[in-house]
Amino acid sequence: MTTKMKRRINRILLWVLIVLMAVWMLFPFYWAINSSFKSEGMLAMTPTTFIPRDPVTREVSFFTRNYEAVFTNQAFLRGIVNSVIVATSVTLLSLAIGSFAGFALGKLRYRGKTATLYVILAMTMFPAIAVLTGLYAMINNLGIPPIPSMIITYMLFTLPFTAWVLTAFFRELPTEIFQSAQVDGASPFQTFYMIMLPLTAPALVTTGLLAFIGAWNEYLFALTFTSIAPDARTLPVIIANFPSQFSRQIPFGEIMAGGIVSSVPLIALVFIFQRRIVAGLTAGAVKG
Amino acid sequence: MARQGGSDLARREQRLAYWLLAPTFIILLAIAIYPLFSVFYTSFTNNVFASAAPTEFVGFQNYQRLLSMTIRQLPPRLDEAGRPIVDPNTGAVQYESAVTVLPREPIRFRPVTQFDLFGTRYVLGATDPNFIRAVWDTIVFAVATVFLELVLGMIVALIVNANFKGRGFMRAIILIPWAIPTAVSSQMWAYMLQPNRTGFFNTVFWYLGLGNGEIPFLSDPAWQLPSMIMIDVWKTTPFMALLLLAGLQLIPGDIYEAADVDGAGPVRQFFQLTLPLLKGTIAVALVFRTLDALRVFDLFQIVLGQARYSMASFTYYELIQNRQMGYSSASSVVIFLVLSVFAVTYMRSLGVKSDDH
Amino acid sequence: MKRRFLAIWSLLLVLSMVLAACPGQPAPTPTAPPPPPAQEATPAAPAATEAQPAAPAQEGVVTLTWVGPGPGAEFEFRRQQAERWNAANPDIQVRLIEGPVSATDRIGLYLQAFQAQSADIDIMQIDVIWPGDLAEHLIDFYEYEGVAEAVAGDFPAIVQNNTVDGRLVGLPWFTDGGLLYYRTDLLEKYGFDGPPQTWDELEQMAQTIQDGERAEGNQDFWGFVWQGAPYEGLTCDALEWIYSSGGGTIVSPDKVITINNPAAAEALDRAYSWIGKITPPGVTSFMEEESRRVWHGGNAAFMRNWPYAYGLSQGEDSAVKDKFDVTALPGKEAGMSAATLGGWQVGVSKYSRNPEAAVKLALWLTSEEEQKAQALSPSSLIPTKVALYSDPDIAEQRPFMPRLLPVFTSAVARPSTATAPKYNETSNIFFSNVFEVLTGRMSGADAVATIELDLQDLLGFPVGAP
Repeated sequence: MTTKMKRRINRILLWVLIVLMAVWMLFPFYWAINSSFKSEGMLAMTPTTFIPRDPVTREVSFFTRNYEAVFTNQAFLRGIVNSVIVATSVTLLSLAIGSFAGFALGKLRYRGKTATLYVILAMTMFPAIAVLTGLYAMINNLGIPPIPSMIITYMLFTLPFTAWVLTAFFRELPTEIFQSAQVDGASPFQTFYMIMLPLTAPALVTTGLLAFIGAWNEYLFALTFTSIAPDARTLPVIIANFPSQFSRQIPFGEIMAGGIVSSVPLIALVFIFQRRIVAGLTAGAVKG
Repeated sequence: MARQGGSDLARREQRLAYWLLAPTFIILLAIAIYPLFSVFYTSFTNNVFASAAPTEFVGFQNYQRLLSMTIRQLPPRLDEAGRPIVDPNTGAVQYESAVTVLPREPIRFRPVTQFDLFGTRYVLGATDPNFIRAVWDTIVFAVATVFLELVLGMIVALIVNANFKGRGFMRAIILIPWAIPTAVSSQMWAYMLQPNRTGFFNTVFWYLGLGNGEIPFLSDPAWQLPSMIMIDVWKTTPFMALLLLAGLQLIPGDIYEAADVDGAGPVRQFFQLTLPLLKGTIAVALVFRTLDALRVFDLFQIVLGQARYSMASFTYYELIQNRQMGYSSASSVVIFLVLSVFAVTYMRSLGVKSDDH
Repeated sequence: MKRRFLAIWSLLLVLSMVLAACPGQPAPTPTAPPPPPAQEATPAAPAATEAQPAAPAQEGVVTLTWVGPGPGAEFEFRRQQAERWNAANPDIQVRLIEGPVSATDRIGLYLQAFQAQSADIDIMQIDVIWPGDLAEHLIDFYEYEGVAEAVAGDFPAIVQNNTVDGRLVGLPWFTDGGLLYYRTDLLEKYGFDGPPQTWDELEQMAQTIQDGERAEGNQDFWGFVWQGAPYEGLTCDALEWIYSSGGGTIVSPDKVITINNPAAAEALDRAYSWIGKITPPGVTSFMEEESRRVWHGGNAAFMRNWPYAYGLSQGEDSAVKDKFDVTALPGKEAGMSAATLGGWQVGVSKYSRNPEAAVKLALWLTSEEEQKAQALSPSSLIPTKVALYSDPDIAEQRPFMPRLLPVFTSAVARPSTATAPKYNETSNIFFSNVFEVLTGRMSGADAVATIELDLQDLLGFPVGAP
């Protein structure tokens, strides 16, 4: 009975924690949704309302024009496409190249490993604004179009990240697998892609997801590299520069609507890939 | 270990390692070498951004202006009889204005802060108080956020690693804060923190009877950093949680089964099994989160603007508004050095060295 | 095995490269053409003509790139303008690009382009405080025909502001100035027969109305809202307080630092005294939009803001619709009113390959007919041509404009041309210290003394009385 009781209490505790966590994570998001259904007048109400309400009658009323503005905005739709292209390419490239480096750093024996790790990390230790001027001049001289420019320059931040994280994960894998494969006559490279890579699938998915979101949300580089190429602008640039009727006005409701719409593809992506994380887990069970 | 596995194999392995590392290095160096070199070089000049004004080499002058500090004793204000003036209400001793005791030649020092030591008042002066404050604020911000994110991220990771109905749903949910572009989420938080009851926090505090609904979260210095830390913890805990979750999943389940048999409770299991096995993941997560937090830019620029700087937003305003390219490059180099100190400390203390294979 | 694997990886790499590159080529409006080195002065770059979707690539056709306003109603108007121009001028085609909304983003972008001496941008819009800073990258309009006659009809203060060392680097386009918004219904309710002429009157009216409204249960009501966050907007507000108290313009046009005077100190202390009394304590984080939201919700009796708030306050869900009016800001004494000059100019980049064509377009954009059209467009941009203030159509459709002629003619410019290229630092020193006063960490007198010291260090100008 005591163990049963204990189990039940544990279960309840877990659910309390889950609910707390969900509220904490979701509440600001809810507030963004709430604000995105408000008109200028509703946003100016005091005290603020937890559901959009008419300022005069106090009835619940949803203001949908913010979303209409988002979906009829050609630039926004184009921005989604651009963001998908940029973020996907950056992620694939960083994962591919970073997994090479991660394997070498995590599992292979060679000289100068610590130095390598430091050098890779050092590349990300400058604030973005510091390298921006040099990068812009370089890209301008070479005449690289904006989308490839973004893809290339984002690697400066995503590649060290993927390389480092994958290094940590490769190192966690038991060395015996690696060695027994070598004893079986497999070359180190074969061991890498036939045995090690599948085992790190959860790590690859996770790292990829984090790199993807990082690239998806980048603002400063995107703004600069697309300055004269509005067709290449990515979502954050477009949302931050949403149309307003008057020059100094900040269309807050529309910005919120845009932010919510733009996070939907990401949430969908996580839904798809979180299964993959579980799949990676079961694949990992084979090694026991 | 197959140490004696033949020097031939070892050499093959070494060559493979170099080949595998080559793409990373080529790409990183191709992108970064020119900008990084020009930052270092410019930091020793008086270059003005986008100007035809001639550039001169000025040695360490920029660094001197960024980092010079001095401490001066602040004398109390005296009345005609030569006694210190005391505030009649509070009984506190009145001091001279800090401007009067700080040196003006050859370069002017401005007051940063005042402090008492053994009954004497001192003033800390700096040639650029904004930068000194930015460095201090950013370090406080980074330490606080990374610590909170690690603890909360671990809790979240453990929860979504547990087995319960709707786990997949929760895993997607925890990523939402990270998935909203900073450009949007920062504006949303700024709106929630409005200094009147159009803002969420002031409304709720007022309903709860705390404050008068007019708390200036973003302009009161006492509230500014806590607000920033709260926003960043909300925004980046998912990043930490997801990394730790992936680490947790690499831990084979049979270890826990053995521990269960041994009768170890969940708390002991966590500290004796999970934590040591997660060490590598935690180290990497800490390094990247700390570096990111020290470079924080969008959040400060959007929410606080020029009310309070982070190191990176200070650099931004020096470059874009004041066009002091040499000076802002020097501040970038200082940021680089601060980050290096953190990175090396982490790598030393968490054992992220790998030559021991 | 190894080969096959490598092949797969490299295929992936190539694929992602292709994926990355493809939107650049087949898309109807290609992205930036590769710019040749800036020194090269080809009359019409062949690459640039491809970027123009409206006109077929032709010999002798010049294509100009114009960085326009941020997306929105004004951009819509500019787009129609560009279409009209392109239809009327087959030999000079213009390609209009949406610029960033925020002024900081915009100047950052111009500076990056200037630093790289890029010929990608020919024509651009320039804030009233930028001519001094950007002068070295902009052409002198006086070197071109018809310019002197054209600017003769503009407000002289703006032309003077745009003239740097005798070079006219921007054509006045539309203007802006600080206004006092006031609630006509509340003034009437509390028995005031007109808006305040002096700061004392404003304080008294604001206090009366605030007390009355709060007694009736609106606890969020405040007398007077303005912009108090530490940013360029605070420089504008504080300059108005100081200038309207006889405290000068921080740095005079003949390069004398005039800020350290009792009138200026008193003006800052006065602003500090409003906070918590008639102005919400949160004003120190207010920019234009935050103060407008208080006003929009019907929670303020007076507001200092730019003309843009007029149209929004007349929006259908505004709590103050048809209950307010605008007038000149008060002064220390009646008639000492001051409005900080805002507004935008047209500039042409020195690195442009087609400056003649760009000047032609700039003259057309700033012409009287086009300024009239933009005044009547939904964004109601305020003309810089004096003649338009007696235009019957404008008087009928935009009645507030002719009424505000005195405000705009007497608008006070920020010392941006005198302190160039260090205006931003000057402004930064100024608003940071004013902010210290507003947050109670410094007295007005200490602040103006500190500003004077800092400006001496920065500019090396002599010190004097305003």
